[in-house]
Amino acid sequence: MDVELSLTTQLIHEAPIAEPLIVGPDEPVRDVLRRLQELRTGSVLVCRDDRMVGIFTERDALQLMARACREGESLFDGPIEEVMVTSPVTLTQDASIASAIRKMSEGGYRRLPVVDAQGRPQGMLTVSGIVHFLVEHFPETVYNLPPDPKLAPQEREGA
Amino acid sequence: MDGRVICPHCSTWNIAGVDTCAQCHQSLADVQLTRKPMSRVEENLLRDRLRALGPVPPVVVGPETPVCEVLDRLVTEKIGCVLVMEDDQLLGIFSERDALLKLNADAAQLATRPVSEFMTPSVETLEFDDSIVFALHKMDLGGFRHIPLYRDGKVAGIVSIRDFFRYMVDDLIATT
Repeated sequence: MDVELSLTTQLIHEAPIAEPLIVGPDEPVRDVLRRLQELRTGSVLVCRDDRMVGIFTERDALQLMARACREGESLFDGPIEEVMVTSPVTLTQDASIASAIRKMSEGGYRRLPVVDAQGRPQGMLTVSGIVHFLVEHFPETVYNLPPDPKLAPQEREGA
Repeated sequence: MDGRVICPHCSTWNIAGVDTCAQCHQSLADVQLTRKPMSRVEENLLRDRLRALGPVPPVVVGPETPVCEVLDRLVTEKIGCVLVMEDDQLLGIFSERDALLKLNADAAQLATRPVSEFMTPSVETLEFDDSIVFALHKMDLGGFRHIPLYRDGKVAGIVSIRDFFRYMVDDLIATT
């Protein structure tokens, strides 16, 4: 398959789309941070009655942590609603991989929520998911690489 | 591209059928048993070196730097990670992900502790002149977003997935 063609014709569901972590708008920031830590994930969608109202990512968490070092941890007591980013850029399920790459590159996003026509979150597409898609599509080129560029075998193994 | 084969180790063009690469003398036997790059995207990723992504000089801190200072630099310089170095030696990397997983809601209590306690040691690195596919491979396997690059034996740059996406958009899918 031609990768160039597949980038523009293949839809984002061909890439691994992660199950989104969802919390309510009243959830305390501290609890949200703990859940991100437990699940080792970098973002959470804030939803009210099935509809997405915001996103909170590890970048937002970083900024809060930097502020908390100066202003104290009471910063983490408030609801997530107050610190989330409202109306995030989203993708619909019929978006192509190329358009997702372009959106991420232009906006500087590392993850985009995938939503259905009613704005209900279906999943999360991350930059790592796209890298995985690309690697999967060059299986021979990429998987046959030596683990270190300098460690290529001098001779074929075996008889 | 018929009649020629790209060496996957040093990206030199070779005449199809030769046993070893004219440039680096690595065996080409495996390469010629498998298919050749089938598209422009794949060919470019094999041919282009990491320097084509425009690696920027890394932001470097010492191992004793208090972690709150590191958080501030990540925020003010709008970057995702810093390299922890001492005497030109790379000790580790501290990224947003380390902040989230290791500091989390305890950030204020841990603020004055040295960054070396929270960094990720044993960093995966590459060279400026390695192919882009090597970086993709490492990022996919390890789940990394940044890879420090060496040039002439010294850490001289860092590339991120963001740099790679910019390269994809600029060079490869610009026309679509």
